[in-house]
Amino acid sequence: MMPSNGTRSLLWGLSEVEEKMGWRQSLQGADVPMGRTIYLNEPLRNAFCENSISTAKYSMWSFLPRYLYLQFSKTANAFFLFITILQQIPDVSPTGKYTTLVPLLVILVISGIKEIVEDYKRHMADKLVNSKNTIVLRQNAWQMILWKEVNVGDIVKATNGQFLPADMVLISSSEPQATCFVATSNLDGETNLKIRQALSETATMKTEKQLSNLSGKIKCEEPNFHFNSFAGTLYLNEKSPISIGPDQVLLRGTQLKNTEWILGIVVYTGFETKFMQNAVKSPLKRSKVEKVTNMQILVLFLLLLVMSLVSCVGAIYWKDRYRAEPWYIGKSDYDYHSFGFDLLVFIILYHNLIPISLLVTLEIVKYIQALFINWDEDMHFKGSNVYAMARTSNLNEELGQVEYLFSDKTGTLTCNVMTFKKCSIAGITYGDLSSKSDDGAKGLSQSPCFISDAYEFNDPALLQNFENDHPTKEYIKEFLTLLCVCHTVVPEREGNNISYQASSPDEAALVKGAKKLGFVFTTRMPNSVTIEAMGEELTFEILNVLEFSSNRKRMSIIVRTPEGRLRLYCKGADSVIYERLSENSLFVEETLVHLENFAKEGLRTLCVAYIDLTEIEYEQWLVMYKKAITVVKDRMKTLEDCYDSIEKKFLLLGATAIEDRLQARVPETITSLLKANIKIWVLTGDKQETAINIAYSCKLLSGQMPRIQLNANSLEATQQVISQNCQDLGALLGKENDLALIIDGKTLKYALHVEVRKCFLNLALSCRTVLCCRLSPLQKAEIVDVVKKQVKAITLAIGDGANDVGMIQTAHVGVGISGNEGMLATNNSDYAIAQFSYLEKLLLVHGAWNYFRVTKCILYCFYKNVVLYIIELWFAIVNGFSGQIIFERWCISLYNVIFTSLPPFTLGIFERCCSQESLLRYPQLYRISQTGDIFNIKVLWIQCINAIVHSFILFWLPAKMLEHDMVLQSGYTTDYLFLGNFIYTYVVVTVCLKAGLETMSWNKFTHFAIWGSIMIWLGFFAVYSSLWPTVPVAPEMTGQGSMALVCPHFWLGFFIVPIVCLIQNVAWKSIRNTCHRTLLEEVREMESSGVQVLRRDSVQSFKVEEVNLQRSSSPRPCQVIFRNNSVDLGAPHGYAFSQVERAVISQEELVRSYDTTKNKPQKTFSSATLE
Amino acid sequence: MAMNYNAKDEVDGGPPCPPGGTAKTRRPDNTAFKQQRLPAWQPILTAGTVLPTFFIIGLIFIPIGIGIFVTSNNIREIEIDYTGTDPSSPCNKCLSPNVTPCVCTINFTLEQSFENPSKECEPYRRNEDKPIAPCGAIANSMFNDTLELFQVGNASDLTPIPLKKKGIAWWTDKNVKFRNPPGTDPLEERFKGTTKPVNWVKPVYMLDSDEDNNGFINEDFIVWMRTAALPTFRKLYRLIERKNDLHPTLPAGRYYLNITYNYPVHSFDGRKRMILSTISWMGGKNPFLGIAYITIGSISFLLGVVLLVINHKYRNSSNTADITI
Repeated sequence: MMPSNGTRSLLWGLSEVEEKMGWRQSLQGADVPMGRTIYLNEPLRNAFCENSISTAKYSMWSFLPRYLYLQFSKTANAFFLFITILQQIPDVSPTGKYTTLVPLLVILVISGIKEIVEDYKRHMADKLVNSKNTIVLRQNAWQMILWKEVNVGDIVKATNGQFLPADMVLISSSEPQATCFVATSNLDGETNLKIRQALSETATMKTEKQLSNLSGKIKCEEPNFHFNSFAGTLYLNEKSPISIGPDQVLLRGTQLKNTEWILGIVVYTGFETKFMQNAVKSPLKRSKVEKVTNMQILVLFLLLLVMSLVSCVGAIYWKDRYRAEPWYIGKSDYDYHSFGFDLLVFIILYHNLIPISLLVTLEIVKYIQALFINWDEDMHFKGSNVYAMARTSNLNEELGQVEYLFSDKTGTLTCNVMTFKKCSIAGITYGDLSSKSDDGAKGLSQSPCFISDAYEFNDPALLQNFENDHPTKEYIKEFLTLLCVCHTVVPEREGNNISYQASSPDEAALVKGAKKLGFVFTTRMPNSVTIEAMGEELTFEILNVLEFSSNRKRMSIIVRTPEGRLRLYCKGADSVIYERLSENSLFVEETLVHLENFAKEGLRTLCVAYIDLTEIEYEQWLVMYKKAITVVKDRMKTLEDCYDSIEKKFLLLGATAIEDRLQARVPETITSLLKANIKIWVLTGDKQETAINIAYSCKLLSGQMPRIQLNANSLEATQQVISQNCQDLGALLGKENDLALIIDGKTLKYALHVEVRKCFLNLALSCRTVLCCRLSPLQKAEIVDVVKKQVKAITLAIGDGANDVGMIQTAHVGVGISGNEGMLATNNSDYAIAQFSYLEKLLLVHGAWNYFRVTKCILYCFYKNVVLYIIELWFAIVNGFSGQIIFERWCISLYNVIFTSLPPFTLGIFERCCSQESLLRYPQLYRISQTGDIFNIKVLWIQCINAIVHSFILFWLPAKMLEHDMVLQSGYTTDYLFLGNFIYTYVVVTVCLKAGLETMSWNKFTHFAIWGSIMIWLGFFAVYSSLWPTVPVAPEMTGQGSMALVCPHFWLGFFIVPIVCLIQNVAWKSIRNTCHRTLLEEVREMESSGVQVLRRDSVQSFKVEEVNLQRSSSPRPCQVIFRNNSVDLGAPHGYAFSQVERAVISQEELVRSYDTTKNKPQKTFSSATLE
Repeated sequence: MAMNYNAKDEVDGGPPCPPGGTAKTRRPDNTAFKQQRLPAWQPILTAGTVLPTFFIIGLIFIPIGIGIFVTSNNIREIEIDYTGTDPSSPCNKCLSPNVTPCVCTINFTLEQSFENPSKECEPYRRNEDKPIAPCGAIANSMFNDTLELFQVGNASDLTPIPLKKKGIAWWTDKNVKFRNPPGTDPLEERFKGTTKPVNWVKPVYMLDSDEDNNGFINEDFIVWMRTAALPTFRKLYRLIERKNDLHPTLPAGRYYLNITYNYPVHSFDGRKRMILSTISWMGGKNPFLGIAYITIGSISFLLGVVLLVINHKYRNSSNTADITI
């Protein structure tokens, strides 16, 4: 077994929390010895693993041993195996040799078939992959071979669009400078293309002849799972060694893009490829219910031991009382009956107390529950035709118990689509249409992400003002020009279409917005940009780019306008722009109001301003600037100071508002989940401002909510600010307050220190909303882990990207958004859904239902076994603890397999506490499953006691009925088995009806299971007792059916015994439901009384709703007086801006390197790789 | 092992297969079953909804119980303990192991005539079964007292009552389950090579002179082999058939019971009793079921009343929405 990537990084992470992206760095840091030597064109010397892969669990030969091993490593199965073995000891078993073996075999065969079906699918998928074609160089010629035949050392030729069959080192490509592009979304989830470049030494090797003559070797590290690292050396004969790095390596699982062909030498194959090394098994998660069940099985096992011991003691007592053994029991029979022997006998007698069929029943039930999730049309995203997918069925019921929801932001709450939404130019807002008409807002909130154009900036007023010579016309022109010029976007022309490539999604949105308004950015050249302003072509010479950084919160650009003037355009946060405004600046107040309004809506705002520079000013500054860029020490700081010196006396133009589009129905879903008492924490790698913006727009934050912002630089400071806040909260600490806690990754590092952790959690748990920003993937996982351990609540993590994998794996339930950002999150999740809003149905409906179903199914399985097998104990009391069984042995073993096997299934598959609509409408109902009150050890004991009472009635009532052995018309006397069959019949009836009593919703399957099971037993009884001697089984059953089924006592008892058992349960249930009405009962009554669920004016539903409203966690105004300055009580700021910072090449270098008038090189940028 | 690697990713980059099918091709038809919208009945268990059931159960069960009770009481039964532990009993002498064979006689009087056919004498005793070898211990301990019944006539002359020894076993036992070894030879030949159980007086092929009631298909043996469940049990011994409809089977009068006492029960405090009983449609006398029906019917009725009160008390308050979660 391979250690999992996720676990490994987690292990490291807990010891040392690293800086941002520490996850990857720590992986790269691992030392890998250079272990592999590949000889070029010498296939015989390269003996490594094959390229064929197998993801299947079993092969034809390994199936049986492996499967049996897996099955018997489950405690319950091992227990039954043990019983089976015990039964083989001669004379020990009162129930024959095969009565446990057969049901066990049935169960093993059923789960075996399930395994085979699943494994067959994997085999087929593997076969498909292994038999794909690729071209390799063999015997000096290109040959088409299958993927599985590719060996290490082969030279492979791949063409555009192909997936690469193995990890290889790039030799050469069709593109200039031997570059190529690959899509890596399968591996790391990033949507942008990656560029790879061959070594210049090999770049020219393109013909068969050149390649065949290649000789030498490659030394490289042993296979490992680090995607972004590779260390190797190429030794070409008669040349000095050249080192190979990750830039030359093409990985299996990636797809060749925008490149005609490439040639590569295979270095890793099959399981040794990085892709396969990374395809790890997600950690095995067990649900809380499963853990409780295991505890309960243990309890039952103890009960079994106690019963066996009691019976042994009883046997000794009995023997002691009749010291001289009764003559009628042959002496020889009793000689070896020792205590230990008796114990074994009784363990075998009572062993069925532990339900043999429980595990397999649960497995099937959960499998079908998972299918229901997969089938759900309400979780079907029609846009990409993606259904929800349960990747594991272990955790179905855990979905009903979630208390903490950890959500990623980008791609999960948001679509990761930025659109230019509104703006404020010269004190006039534009684009406010949608908020004025309610329809627009509604359409917006439900708009699926991919229809983007329809919801962009659309306000004819702006153009009208521009065209009709409105007084602000010049401002509008300047504003739009700024948007077109002041950015780092690169245009790409395809025919008449221009698309924009940007590292900053905000900038792309602004440029696109401007384009729609007639200001089209067309061409970027190293020293200039060209725009078409209302058809007029203008070229601006770019003199300087004053780069963006999150410190500066602004970026500026100095241009020479077509008129030859020097001008500085700047866009940035309101706070920084406002403090640099000149006194002459107009519309300051109006714009500020607009900014605030934008921010309240959760829009990302930027202020834009400009200043005209004089030539002298600029010359002076340029001198300073040139000096600054040559500084070695603290260059960044010096540069920023230098930028700062010219960014002043701004003239305000206005502000832009960009919508980071939320996914459909996110605010509604969040409201609903909050009502269901689920606490939502947003964990994002993104910036604090952005996170706050999104929190506003998805209603996690409201305008008045005080925000506790924890930003500290040291452990002491963190400790101090946390304890200060705790003190301020005082008595409210530990309760849910209408507060928001916002913390950044750096502070969190300190906050999770052992000493501070407890305090921090106390504070965090007292807040209604928690936002954690700037987190590394590792920190995301860590915070989930801390909450999981400290709060002991069920956690759910939802995310879509590679950086969420850690937390998805750590949380009790991991949900992946199967969206655009590749497959990594989905592949490591337990459930995959296409939209955040589907979480509502997944949790509130499927989760709650599955919880009810699974727990009822388990409790019922326990109940029915206890009922039947405790009867043996009552019987032992009257038979002197002899170990005699009262039922026919095969009836006993078929009890779980046939006669009472259907009701658990209908409970587990079809049980519904109430309709889907009600569950969604009253999220409060979720708390029933969330608290887990209906399934714990106490409930089990109650159920067991109930079962014992039932079994008492079920034994003694028929026993008294048949006391005189004369119940047949012709005076025949009866035997023990006659009584046994009476009891057995009544047990089946009682147990089936009890299932009916537990069922809250009867559909046709329920009827079939309950009435059918009873009929099946009666039919079986009739047939089985007339088999002998035609079929050599059960001679003692001969004639039982024909005698019992015509016996009046049988039918009189048939009605009274189950009623005696169940009347108490019915009475108790109905009294409890009447005196202590729960919301669930209220809702159920409402449903069955035919009140239309959708009619809101119905009196009853209105009342329920009113009650719900009072009960829901309505935001109480927070009355805490905070005495520290970490709390922000003011109106929200809307500033947010994403841009790559401190990249390998600076923003200035980037813009200077493009000339879009030429065709090549064609490059693709990572878009918004912050998240 | 690579478990969550999905080969399909490499083929089309699509989402991996769900347990139920392939991601791209599956198009669940929108059936009520798959969308979990099957029509269903939701039973509401509240005092108001269940109380009619309780009353109905009460109203049905009480008359049934009375009927059963009356039937049971009409069954006539007489019980004679002949274990002999009481020194005054004529069978007391048989407790001494020295007296073999032992015959004791008991006189008794029937004060009413036994109208309806039947029958039967049965030994009552403590018994423990351990069917380690089903044909071993149980068969070995087969009951072997002989009981004969005589009517004492006017002149103290004894009229033997004919006791039917065939037809006391279940038909299936006699004809299906128990078979003598096949062959046409006399039974003794067919059982050659076997020996009688230790405690038996006679070998199995000498249980009866009637070929059809001998060997394994001897009905006394078959009846014995139906092992009872409880320590105190009854076995059907003989049937007394009504001769014609005009005369009672056993008219009132004095009777004389002749017992060949072979079966020792004293060592385990057992008791042996002979019971004469008539038979009804529900077998022998057992008032328990009748009482049970009456009791449950009454309890159910009572619960119905309690629920009625509860319902009355809470119906009003429920509308004021006193809900707790």
